Amino acid sequence: MARSWSRLTLAGKILFTVIPILFVLTVGLVLLIVLAGKPIVDFLAANIWLVRFVVAATAILLMSVPTAFLIIYMEMKVIALMNLRIGPDRVGPFGSLLSVVHGLKVLMKEDFSPTGADRLVFTLAPVAVFMATIMALLVIPFAPGLFGADMNIGLLYLFAVSGLTVVGLLMAGWSSFNKYSLLGGLRSAAQVISYEIPLTLSVVGLLLLAGTMSLNQIVLLQGPHLVNGVATGGWFTDWFVFRQPLGALIFFIAATAEANRTPFDLTEADSEIVAGFATEYSGMRFGFFFFAEYVNVFVVSGLIVTLFFGGWNAPFPWPWPVSVGFDPGSLGIGLLLLIAIVPVVGTLILAAPFFLARSSLPAWQAIVIGFVLFNLLAIVAIAGWAFISFDWVAGLLWFLGKSYVFVFTFVWMRGTLPRVRIDQLMGFAWKWLLPASLLNLFVTALAIVVVHPK
Amino acid sequence: MIRLPGIGLVKGMGLTLRRFFEPKATIRYPEVRLDVPHKFRGRLQLLYDEYGTLKCETCFQCAQACPIECIDMGGMDTKGRYHIHWGAPETYGERRDESALRRSGRPVPDQAYEHFDPVEPGPVDAILARHDHDPKHMLQILEETQAAYGHLPVGALKLISQKTGAWYAMIYGTASYYRHLRFEPPVAEPLAAATAEARSGRETAYLAGLETSLAGSGKALRARRSAGAKAVPGPGTKRRGTPPGAGPARA
Repeated sequence: MARSWSRLTLAGKILFTVIPILFVLTVGLVLLIVLAGKPIVDFLAANIWLVRFVVAATAILLMSVPTAFLIIYMEMKVIALMNLRIGPDRVGPFGSLLSVVHGLKVLMKEDFSPTGADRLVFTLAPVAVFMATIMALLVIPFAPGLFGADMNIGLLYLFAVSGLTVVGLLMAGWSSFNKYSLLGGLRSAAQVISYEIPLTLSVVGLLLLAGTMSLNQIVLLQGPHLVNGVATGGWFTDWFVFRQPLGALIFFIAATAEANRTPFDLTEADSEIVAGFATEYSGMRFGFFFFAEYVNVFVVSGLIVTLFFGGWNAPFPWPWPVSVGFDPGSLGIGLLLLIAIVPVVGTLILAAPFFLARSSLPAWQAIVIGFVLFNLLAIVAIAGWAFISFDWVAGLLWFLGKSYVFVFTFVWMRGTLPRVRIDQLMGFAWKWLLPASLLNLFVTALAIVVVHPK
Repeated sequence: MIRLPGIGLVKGMGLTLRRFFEPKATIRYPEVRLDVPHKFRGRLQLLYDEYGTLKCETCFQCAQACPIECIDMGGMDTKGRYHIHWGAPETYGERRDESALRRSGRPVPDQAYEHFDPVEPGPVDAILARHDHDPKHMLQILEETQAAYGHLPVGALKLISQKTGAWYAMIYGTASYYRHLRFEPPVAEPLAAATAEARSGRETAYLAGLETSLAGSGKALRARRSAGAKAVPGPGTKRRGTPPGAGPARA
């Protein structure tokens, strides 16, 4: 058995493991549905929140992977371009798969715990950091109707959960049995706790204006909304950044520190304390820290966009969704014929110019080109149709676009700014950001009392 | 320039953003290869012939061609007589000639040798005998040698060094310390007298001219001086913009 196993190729090993598992799962699922289908469906229908939670958690876990890969790639590429280098350009188009390769490499490395480390805490620390970040992602509204949970205390939840990151970092720093790690952990604790205060206070003014803590409601307030039954707004002037400029600035700075990004990346100052709390970590545990860091960058960017830059709202009145006045179902049997014929005809039509123009091209190559072109066209057409017809597609694109502008800004700052000293960091938080956020809060409150006296 | 807080941050961010769009310095090496520089000679390698003998015959052509003079070498000559180890890279050119001479069997000149005229050893022997060949009387010996020859020839100093056992460098140091000891024959007297006379003649003429001009128009001269002081730079002020050769010629 062992010998025949070792003779299998990698693909054989994977298939050999996966196929029985799939088989067992399928049979089990069929049996489950046959034997206990009705009660389960009834239960799920009665507790739809459970389904929603599972789907949302899965979706967010799944989307965090490409997000982190994309941001890591951005970081490598953008900083390289700013250094007059080319950066990654070997794996994939323009090196875009390099972060995937990094991920695989990290997966294959030895998972090592140092002697004297507190094994349990050491193992749990990356999980804690990662979970805190992922949980923060759960309440961010990506698009109309596309969010994990619309809590009425969404912002409070977000601050509470993102504060949990520091617990993970402290766990990592303490359990590593290493002075660099401990220093990194202590630094991160001091830093995150200090910046938590201006971060939270800078948003309080916005909360006074919005009157709600639900992130979804805050986004809706910045978009087109009904005033006395008339739809108004929709322009970018409704964004809170224009009513809370100081708050937005403080939030941006404090969020940079909260995400441990340059110039506030003292937590893992590579040149001073090796890698901070992550010094003793290797393999995928180390990978999880970085994973969490980059997802955190996205969370922070998304949060800035949600709170101050209109979330998924377009910066101008958005004419869509437009319902396309065409129902494919009305074609009847013709629809089936269309589905069968259009790809073939489209492929042939697109292949024809290549075949006719270049006599040296074999027919099969022309057909392959035509097939690829047809698929590209079909994808573009379907995406365009979705973009026009569903407001959540456009909303998601707007949200991601705005978020990645801020992700780019974070990377840009990392490519530019030097790291601040720890005392400068603390002095800035307590002497400047805290009074400024308090000032912002009082001025906002005063303005509300003056403009809308109850 | 008003210093706004945070202007440095904005400037830095602007710089990196400009760099972001500038052409990049990286060369994708295996695909793109730069042209090899004109003087590139590749990797240095000592080659052996089919009998396993080093092909290098210490001709120093590579050392001479080396632009940064990093090549040093040692070896045997073709007759197997000398083991030569080569020294400072500045001397590669000369040493290559020396190697060629040695290979041809001709005598090789000593680079450190300086020619000096031979002296008549009689007076030196007499002086040294008088002082019992004692290096402690070096000053008297040197004074008497100078009295005998008119100056201190190198040959005489070498002879003293040989006879007394004192180092030539110490004798030279003693001789060069005292003003009245000289290594060259004294300059002919009449010439010096003539130049001194000529100089004093010119000086007296100049002083006389000055005297007459001061007596004639003292006031006018003083007025001209004060007016021209601003326009004409004096000898003490710095001249700007004119190259050092462009000023009035030095006396």
